[in-house]
Amino acid sequence: MSVRALVLTGFGLNCDFETAHVLRLAGAEAQRVHISDLTGAPGIAPSRSLDDYNIVVFDGGFAWGDDHGAGVILSTRLKNHMGDQMQRFLERGGLVLGICNGFQALVNFGLLPMLGGTWNRKVALAANDCGNFQDRWVELLINPESPCVFTKGLERLEVPIRHGEGKLVADDDTLAEIEGLGLAAVRYGNGKGKIAGGKWPHNPNGSMNDIAGICDPTGRVFGLMPHPEAYYRLSQHPTWTAIRERARREGRELGPQDEGPGLKIFRNAVAAAREAL
Amino acid sequence: MASRLEIGLRPQLPDPQGNGLRQRAKNYFKIAIEEARVLRVLTFDTALDQAQLDLAASKIFTNPVTELGSFGPLAAQVLPGFDWALWVGFKPGVRDNEGATAIEAMTDALGREFGPDEAVYSSRLYLLKAPRLNAEGAEALCAELLANPIIQRWRFIPAGEWDQNEGIGIIIPKVALHHEPVIERIEVRSDAELMELSDQRSLFLNAADIPVIRAYFDNPDVRKKRAEMGLAGPTDVELEYVSQARSDHCNHNTFGGRYSYVDLATGQKMEIKNLFKECIKAPTEELASQKDWVVSVLWDNAGVAKLDDAFNYAVTGETHNSPSNMEAYGGSITGIVGVYRDPMGTGLGSKLCAGMWGFCVGPRDYDGELKPLLHPRRLLDGLVEGVRDGGNKSGIPTALGSLIFDPRYLGKCLVFVSAVGVMPADVGGKPSHLKETHAGELVIMCGGRVGADGIHGVTASSAGFSDSTPAGHVQIGDPYTQKKMHDFLLEARDEGLIRFITDNGGGGLSSSVGESARSSRGADVDLAKVPLKYDGLDPWQIWVSESQERMTVAIAPQDEARFMELSAKHGVESTVIGRYTDSGMLRLSYNDETCCYVDVDFLESGFPQWQFEAQWLPPALRGLCEPVLSEPTDHAGLLLELLDSPNLCSREWINRQFDHEVQGASVIKPFAGAGQIVPSEAAVLQPLLERGAGLAMTQVFLIEYGDIDTYAMVAAEMDEGLRRITAVGGDPEQIGGMDNFCWPSIQYDAKTNPDGKYKAAQLVRACWALRDGCLTAGIPLLSGKDSMYVDGMIPDENGLRRRISGPPTMMFTATAPVHDLAACQSLEPKVAGDEIWVLGLTKDELGGGALYNHLGYVGLNAPKTDLGATKKLCLAVSRALQKGLMASVCVAGRGGLAYGLARMAMAGGLGLNVDLDGLAAVDGLSALQKLYSESCGRFIVTVDPARSAELRALLGDIPAACIGLVQAGEDLVINSGGKEILRLGANRMTKSFTRRFGGLV
Repeated sequence: MSVRALVLTGFGLNCDFETAHVLRLAGAEAQRVHISDLTGAPGIAPSRSLDDYNIVVFDGGFAWGDDHGAGVILSTRLKNHMGDQMQRFLERGGLVLGICNGFQALVNFGLLPMLGGTWNRKVALAANDCGNFQDRWVELLINPESPCVFTKGLERLEVPIRHGEGKLVADDDTLAEIEGLGLAAVRYGNGKGKIAGGKWPHNPNGSMNDIAGICDPTGRVFGLMPHPEAYYRLSQHPTWTAIRERARREGRELGPQDEGPGLKIFRNAVAAAREAL
Repeated sequence: MASRLEIGLRPQLPDPQGNGLRQRAKNYFKIAIEEARVLRVLTFDTALDQAQLDLAASKIFTNPVTELGSFGPLAAQVLPGFDWALWVGFKPGVRDNEGATAIEAMTDALGREFGPDEAVYSSRLYLLKAPRLNAEGAEALCAELLANPIIQRWRFIPAGEWDQNEGIGIIIPKVALHHEPVIERIEVRSDAELMELSDQRSLFLNAADIPVIRAYFDNPDVRKKRAEMGLAGPTDVELEYVSQARSDHCNHNTFGGRYSYVDLATGQKMEIKNLFKECIKAPTEELASQKDWVVSVLWDNAGVAKLDDAFNYAVTGETHNSPSNMEAYGGSITGIVGVYRDPMGTGLGSKLCAGMWGFCVGPRDYDGELKPLLHPRRLLDGLVEGVRDGGNKSGIPTALGSLIFDPRYLGKCLVFVSAVGVMPADVGGKPSHLKETHAGELVIMCGGRVGADGIHGVTASSAGFSDSTPAGHVQIGDPYTQKKMHDFLLEARDEGLIRFITDNGGGGLSSSVGESARSSRGADVDLAKVPLKYDGLDPWQIWVSESQERMTVAIAPQDEARFMELSAKHGVESTVIGRYTDSGMLRLSYNDETCCYVDVDFLESGFPQWQFEAQWLPPALRGLCEPVLSEPTDHAGLLLELLDSPNLCSREWINRQFDHEVQGASVIKPFAGAGQIVPSEAAVLQPLLERGAGLAMTQVFLIEYGDIDTYAMVAAEMDEGLRRITAVGGDPEQIGGMDNFCWPSIQYDAKTNPDGKYKAAQLVRACWALRDGCLTAGIPLLSGKDSMYVDGMIPDENGLRRRISGPPTMMFTATAPVHDLAACQSLEPKVAGDEIWVLGLTKDELGGGALYNHLGYVGLNAPKTDLGATKKLCLAVSRALQKGLMASVCVAGRGGLAYGLARMAMAGGLGLNVDLDGLAAVDGLSALQKLYSESCGRFIVTVDPARSAELRALLGDIPAACIGLVQAGEDLVINSGGKEILRLGANRMTKSFTRRFGGLV
């Protein structure tokens, strides 16, 4: 049986094509599914259900233009129509990945960090401290203590952030619980393997504790601001031509379509989903 | 019942928007603000009860973790002890994207549709702790930083006058026209009468067109046909239609004009019967017939060329100058979102895959005597924000861009926006680049609604305003609505539902329906069916409105149900407004009343051509000469100054705000090297992830060469475009060009445009260079546009208005497929020990160059271009890249070898040690000339020494020489005449390169 992955599309989401592509490379049978096909729309009954999938990805974009807080309206629409489906999906061991706008939607949905197993808006992704949208490559350090199934076997990763609202904010108690349970799965590094320590631009948005992404206590729901699908192949890296040239002098030939380390996150998801089939 | 919701960050959290405001107030106006907090305000003009409003406030609009929300004033909680409250909201009729999505969210959350009389309006409340700010300063902040009077209004309230219970009160910018739509029937008895009418109605009809228009409506056969429809003389709808279609913007009368050119030095005369046909159309048709990769040119919304064996790409570019000059944010967001509709409306529709931008503005730190409407600094801020929101929210990578400063752009700024889409070569077994309408098919308008937007452009700005007149002449693009429409139309295309598609841009429905009706030979449209933003528009306004985010689509009647179902699924409004016919007539009605009945070809023929006098005086006779310069004692200091100069320094702050990686397609980014601050030569994207082909794109501006000779300018731009595409791996044999002309007015007038004949000659020479370049280098023009009248009457401090004409500007854009991404390369040196080669010959060609410009000279020796030689060189470089022979490729262009080597050193983080004595150069050049000559046809490359013999062999007789080595360390070292003349660490160069704009983030 194959692992079926659903990638949301429509209403301003815009990373659906590449996210589905990367899931396919990772071995999933991936489909882009319009939000209206899940929730229904005026005059249109829902035609798809989470019940038929093992992985659901909330991909990047500007859902509803992000006019009222990033990911807010998307999460409201899903809450209104898909709460029960999502409950069943999680109970079945389904995996949820939220990237950028999708992460913003997941925290507003309340699926992250899901402390005590309850859905609650306990974390926010607020406007970047620098005051602006930024497209910038960052170093991600993987928390080895985290239950996150998506980051298994990874230590560090270079990936781009592309957002205006990625500053993770939570109250002291929530933050302590997130840290205590190892839910802070990925943090911004300083480019040399150590945490960024809040310093711009390594921590590009001012996130508390340099947190770039969190998972729920089961490790099967994961959201992060950076885009792992944006480094699925070598030639997406800003200095890939230099990486290739140095390898060439050592007698190794690298190709533009060679696998990038971001793909590992999707491979992990497919593997975890397969175990639960 | 109306109510007002205020939302703000909790006081313990920092407010980045408030901090940004503080910084700008300090830097731009020297106004000290101790603290600033920003509240989002939503004003609900709905029939909701308080319980429903509370639900919306808490579940949707207020983030419980970070924000406070209240239906009463929040000011005292968010910033106790504030000194000023500044409120800024839209004028009636201005597109309010936040208000629209608020309604969408509530519709779903409350399970209730909202009626046409219900609305949500967004605004902002700025709270300032600024004890020394007076009323004048507070108003200046509103008028010159936070708001633009063209689209917004404001209030500034000192703490002492703040109403603690009501706050700013309830302000509802609802449009109420109180007007019953009418059709005016007009009888024109003389040319003079029609001219007078044209003035009254701001039709801007050409005097020469007037007899043609009258002859049509006076024709007895026409009269007879019209009588059957209940019509006699023209209606207001028809005259407005003619006015739109015959405008220079829509009809390109200047480019299609006849030119009498004389060279005043030789007395030689030339007649150019039609500039466009001779210089653009003819060479493009000739090349298109020779090259099977040219798919579709010269007629559609964008040009189409082959990407690979199964997919094509569509490319186009345009400008949005006048609106941006008045309202920078609105102008640029409308520009970028608008140009994205062109590839969407090309053939049966393409999927957008890249955008590009070019801004030409006055000096950012201008403090001279002229007082343009918007200071260049503010203008540029708005332009950047507009393209940022428009591009990012469209989900289309902004691949690259250019920023040019020149005081002559104080008269009018230029905003270039370009778009690229991809489409399968076949859709449902038919070529996707072809489209036709047929009698019986439905005319459908998709996307946004129609308001009084963009009608008569700027003339509306002088009309009197009340609190409920729509401020629609400057628009704000809505990328969200358009993104939904984009996704919808592609799905409809792939289901084979679309027969014809085109966008509603300039001229609105009059243009899109008018053109598509020519294919079927007629259409019947009921303007009363067009969905409106508000009541009270006259039929002619509906017909010519330029309200954004709309496409016109033809579908077969049997496909209507499916089309509408898809439309609803995507949350897009689509409306059948008529049918295509084969009657030969365009018939418009408003309900049952016919308001337009003209032959579909009426606008196509019979109108007279525009005529221009062009007088050329060669540069030497204009008094231009080379400056007399010595060798500097401090070469390093000079290079640092150039790296810091406004036109050469880093644009990182802009590019970082634009998502250039969305869609996962990025291969060569706008920056090169680990530091990611040095601009790349071109961008490469892989638009189709499941296929291997890439697409290279770049754009070139060399404005200052035009001060010597616009022929040299355009030729050099093409040369550089060819080299840039080649440098990143693009196929030099499949380069498509695009010309975007922005020119000052060229119609001579002794009083208002005394140098018009010279400017006309500059245009002719630029077009000649384009024609010659295309044919020599084998570059067909896939697309092109022109925007004339880049002039402004700008007042100084004494109210003396001066005419400021922009410099003749042509942005040359080049695109080409990269057949195998393995051929891609970037400009930074990568391995110590590699040889540094300069390919191509360096000559005494510093005229119009960056060095002279920096020193305040123009010079005389603009680079001369040999595009045949450059093409040959590019083919060699391309072969070398395919063989993996080159470890880096940099284009020596503006700023010459000095700027090229500095960019390589900064990007590579490695040392470069070069000796200018080894350079392939003409005799007698000084070190200064060798470093700053801008001769065309040159690359700087680095090569593994083990393979440099292979490179040499491949170059054949092309002039080229190894001039040094890449070294460990980070110093750029330049030797000449046996002496070291420059040594600079990459860090020092980077500091100068990023100093000017580094703080802008």
